[in-house]
Amino acid sequence: MYRRCLAGAAAASLLLLAACSSSPSQSATGTSAKKVTLTYLTFLTPDLTAQFWAKSIAAAAKSVPGVTIKQDVDPTTDRDTYAKTLLQAGQFPDLLESITPSLYTSAGLLTPFPASWINANFILPNNIKGNDYIPPTNSQIIPLVYYNKALFAKAGATPPTTWAEFIADCAKLKTAGVVPIELGGHDSFAAAMPLTGALSADVLGSDPNWIQQRYAGTVKFADPNVVAAATKMRTLVTDNYFEPDALSVSYAQSILNFNAGKAAMYPMGSWYLGSIPKNEWNNIGVFPWPTNNGSLVIPFSLGGSMAVSSKTPDAAGAFKFAESWSLNPANLKSLISGDGAFPMLKGKSLASYGLSLSPAFYNSYSYVTSTNTKISSMSWATNDNALPGNVTSDFDAAAQALFSTSNVLGQMQQLDQDWASATASS
Amino acid sequence: MKPLRIRLARLDTGLGAIAALAMVLYLMFLIVPVLLSLKTSFTNQNILFPTSKFVGLANYRTALHDMQLRSSIEFTLALAVAVTIVANAAGLCFAVLLNRTSLSYRVLRTLAFLPQVISGIIAGFVWSWMLSPTGLVNHILTGSGLVSQPVNWLGTPQLAQLSAGLVVSWVLSGFTTVVYLAALQNIPRELYEASSIDGASSRQQFRMITFRMVAPATTISVVICLITVLKLYDIITALTGGGPAYATRSIAMYIISVGFSNDAYGYASAIAMVLLVLTAIIALSVTTVLRRREVEL
Amino acid sequence: MIAQRTAVPGVAPRSPAPLRQAERTSRALRRSTRLAFALLVILAFVSPIYLTIVNAFKTNAAIASSPQSVPLHPTLRNVSAALSQPGHVLELGLRNSLIVVVCSVALLIPLGSAFSFYISRKRTRVRAAVMAALAAGLMIPPQITVLPIIKILTLIGLDHTYPGLILSNLGGGYLSFAVFVYVGFMRSIPAEVILAARIDGATGLRIWWKIVMPLVRPATATVGIFLSLWIWNDFLNPLLIIGPLTGQTVTVGLYDAVSNQVQPDYGLQFGFMFLAALIPVAGYLLAQKQFRAGLTAGSTR
Repeated sequence: MYRRCLAGAAAASLLLLAACSSSPSQSATGTSAKKVTLTYLTFLTPDLTAQFWAKSIAAAAKSVPGVTIKQDVDPTTDRDTYAKTLLQAGQFPDLLESITPSLYTSAGLLTPFPASWINANFILPNNIKGNDYIPPTNSQIIPLVYYNKALFAKAGATPPTTWAEFIADCAKLKTAGVVPIELGGHDSFAAAMPLTGALSADVLGSDPNWIQQRYAGTVKFADPNVVAAATKMRTLVTDNYFEPDALSVSYAQSILNFNAGKAAMYPMGSWYLGSIPKNEWNNIGVFPWPTNNGSLVIPFSLGGSMAVSSKTPDAAGAFKFAESWSLNPANLKSLISGDGAFPMLKGKSLASYGLSLSPAFYNSYSYVTSTNTKISSMSWATNDNALPGNVTSDFDAAAQALFSTSNVLGQMQQLDQDWASATASS
Repeated sequence: MKPLRIRLARLDTGLGAIAALAMVLYLMFLIVPVLLSLKTSFTNQNILFPTSKFVGLANYRTALHDMQLRSSIEFTLALAVAVTIVANAAGLCFAVLLNRTSLSYRVLRTLAFLPQVISGIIAGFVWSWMLSPTGLVNHILTGSGLVSQPVNWLGTPQLAQLSAGLVVSWVLSGFTTVVYLAALQNIPRELYEASSIDGASSRQQFRMITFRMVAPATTISVVICLITVLKLYDIITALTGGGPAYATRSIAMYIISVGFSNDAYGYASAIAMVLLVLTAIIALSVTTVLRRREVEL
Repeated sequence: MIAQRTAVPGVAPRSPAPLRQAERTSRALRRSTRLAFALLVILAFVSPIYLTIVNAFKTNAAIASSPQSVPLHPTLRNVSAALSQPGHVLELGLRNSLIVVVCSVALLIPLGSAFSFYISRKRTRVRAAVMAALAAGLMIPPQITVLPIIKILTLIGLDHTYPGLILSNLGGGYLSFAVFVYVGFMRSIPAEVILAARIDGATGLRIWWKIVMPLVRPATATVGIFLSLWIWNDFLNPLLIIGPLTGQTVTVGLYDAVSNQVQPDYGLQFGFMFLAALIPVAGYLLAQKQFRAGLTAGSTR
């Protein structure tokens, strides 16, 4: 028995030795003169697969021969929390894909891209205090309302332009035995789509600078106009226009439900366009969230590729890589077809990407290209109009809370308190 | 006298060295980190900035008035109590049920532990799928006619809290069953045989013999259940994400949100210290009460 | 607190008297009813695990239409898709996870039991104080200690290494758990055996290894199983202490898809969960046999 234990201890120490020798040297962010290794925070979605990243990184890396790019794939769903944890652990990546830059700029953790390069290559800049930290390669509209044409026809409803028409359509659908709106509220961001729609259309629609004023403290969520907009969410709940047990339905399930024709409307970010099954292309239409008076207001959000850390040992190389990656049209192709991303590269028309897209996509995209009132999507914008700290989650939670309370004012007051907590530590 | 003691002391050097090593490791990787956390709780450390300022008890004062902290404490405490009761009751019942020697029972005992084998994330996700409106649980409930409509298990604050209790109890029952099974092994059969001769029914046997003789196991199991639930994060995050509207947000989840979303790392550390003290108080008082019960029984 | 196995005085142990056929049948009936009941209860209890396994081999359509049924047309698509995700993370992660678990547990068992033996012979006051300090290890959520631990490891140059992770596993809640279990079992070791060995001149180490360890085999089994499972399923510590640059454990690698909200692809998610659960479940089932063999072989009571 003694001998067996000795053998066991020997085995364990051998493994330990193997472990020691298999872990690479500590100088991961290379200090050697020749090769620099940069870390790149990425993540996986059904469209942004491991193959996609490998290919896109290899292509962009050609522009920086002396640099090796090492991927850090975020295994959590909250990239920002992961990035902050990495920061505290001393491993802040050099390049970070699709984070919310406003959360880091106060600490000077990111270096902006040259304004000249941004203006030369992209249709619109995504500025935070005059600086653009993420190349705005694509944009989204959050939310749009997608609708099932067949179900609308069955109920005798037509795409609304005013809030009153919208409510009337909901009533018609309900009478016809159709679930008016699919929500998927178990995932809080999906639950908040109607709230985002209402506040973007009504509050930001009348005053595009509202969020800046909120930062300045001259307006509050508890103001009557905001409460009135938020009350619309409550109205949809009390009138029973969402699918039954909406807060138990996951986001994934809501996509399946809407695609299967289980509900007539689906307020969702334009990324849903990538999930429309091909056999439904001619059956899914889209209209923007209706305003009170029928004016067109588009809740817009610029997205993009990667931010560059201000602590990177090779800023020149990092920027070169980032710029090469961002301008590669091939990278956008996956995002366009799979994620419904609207390309924002200057001088490249949508047609030039050579993709076959649904009618709903073209309709949605037309809102981007036409001249209209574009405002920042409430709680989704990543520029100066991004919400501070945890307020985005608190906003989503408020939407869920409106399912069990009619005290809309109270919820808005809570949001103001959350805002105060979030801005207290900055 | 003296030489014997010295001789004995020298005999212990090897053992003492290992014990000292264990203590050093524990100091280094638990005590010191906790002390570091304590130190941070007295600062206004922001997670994005490397430096911070000393602010004394300011974070603790904030914690006192933090309504969201209060709700998460209330929820976590209620969850701890409810889950501990349910998991221990279930564990003891399963243990009694499975305490037979045949092969079939051995297989069942092995199976009963499985909820502990999978990670909390998997447990949370599978149950969130099972509890959805079109999920298996509602499928069975509506199919068998027990309810007319699917139940909104994860959709209302109250039901979501109940569901969280259910799922966490499920996971912990795997643990309590094993603990009670081990305890049952140590109850001499003669006690049962003697009481049968005296004409005791199986319910009386359970009350007089089983329930009392597993007292030490009850102590361990109850305290570990309480401690586990108080620091819970994984299962609930996967099951409800803390929703709806933060109704199922545990203290550990709130700490992460404060520290990493609001960047208030100093304040988060203070809440963590509060959680530690709370857990210590609960664990100590429950242990004392249950230990006394062990002795009395 | 474990009762001695003494017979109740004055009562002879019952010997099986010859039973009539009817009694034997009814007893057999009761036994099989009881077994059937136990079967039903336990199968219902572990149904979520059954569902995870079963749905990993069904198409999405089948999962939606009949989630509870056994796969009529099993498909390997989910599992193979899961395996072909983040380039070869699975093979690499597996080795890393095994290294961490084996080394950590192989070191925690002697550390925990030796320490427990050492303090169980000490004065009550000292012992109580030590146990109280160890209790803290059980009560801390890992989220609180992981960042300071990284700072400490950085100080000694072991950050982002496997030895660093293993070392940090040795000094936390896992050690506390091991000590609590061992101390509980050691309370029942008769003092005379230890004293006799001491008088014979045995060192503490020798007594611990030769006498105590065999006696506390059930404790070793318990500690071994629980710690292996917990360390294997540990997600947070390997994620941050090892860090992304050094290669990941399998739990971290598989966590992605399970918590990935944007997948309406339930099949793929079940595929991932099946893979994530496969090793601990298989390991547990195998270890069960080993430990039971060890328990019966070495039992001296």
